[in-house]
Amino acid sequence: MKKVVSEVSGTVFSLPWLIARDQGLFEAEGIDMEFVRARPSGAVTHTENPEEVNPILGHVAFEEARVSIYRA
Amino acid sequence: MVRPDSPHNYPGTLGHRPIAVQFHAGSHYVALRLLEGYLPKEKIKLVHYGSPQQRFEAMWNGEVDACVVMEPWIALAEKLGCKAVCEGHYLGAENASDDMDEATFAAINRAVAKAVDMLNADKRKYLHYLIEDPRMAAALQKYGGLTPEDFHLPRLRYSYTTPYTDEIVEDTYHWMVRWGLLTGAACSADLVDNRVCSAADTPAAD
Repeated sequence: MKKVVSEVSGTVFSLPWLIARDQGLFEAEGIDMEFVRARPSGAVTHTENPEEVNPILGHVAFEEARVSIYRA
Repeated sequence: MVRPDSPHNYPGTLGHRPIAVQFHAGSHYVALRLLEGYLPKEKIKLVHYGSPQQRFEAMWNGEVDACVVMEPWIALAEKLGCKAVCEGHYLGAENASDDMDEATFAAINRAVAKAVDMLNADKRKYLHYLIEDPRMAAALQKYGGLTPEDFHLPRLRYSYTTPYTDEIVEDTYHWMVRWGLLTGAACSADLVDNRVCSAADTPAAD
């Protein structure tokens, strides 16, 4: 089995992935899929300036190379 | 989305009014794409509020005039009587790291494609994932909860993973540069590499 770690941010983006996990579709393809939750990259501030917001958003684990794939 | 008692019924009256989005994410970009058809750039007032729940609550509590959200927050808002003043869709993206090999990506996509078929055959059967997500369940209950029957199914659109076409990449790139979301010094070919996805898009031999 090939181990793959995937980030889940908005559930609506990952709905087929969650179905694939629970229906054994990843396993049937030889994929050991592990999901980790996205987490905020910093304190949320209310701002009208996009430059004040880290564009990494919740995809910290991907940026740190702890997950291989995410959806958005 | 706007509150049930909001005077806003279409995007053209939202000039200079705060609209909650998450900067650098879909809600930010789709808001600009929708509003630019009704308002000049200088009248569009987007405010970063973070997560969909924070955006929804900012709208519901009256901190902002409108919020941009996705499901299940649209279904919740509509159940509470909120009004959609405009609605847009965008392409979701699979973002893979450099260590994702073609065979693995293809295997993942075959599994996901089967799940897409199952989902499209009976969408309501799988909506419990959106309702029971532990990050959202408590918040949804706070506002009365949701059931699968509360969702408008045609809004949920799932398709097979395919590479972005050059035309989509170029059109999106030029739109982002025009809005100052990308520097014009970057080239779209530098930002998108479809090699793994193109290979993975090839059906399996079985």
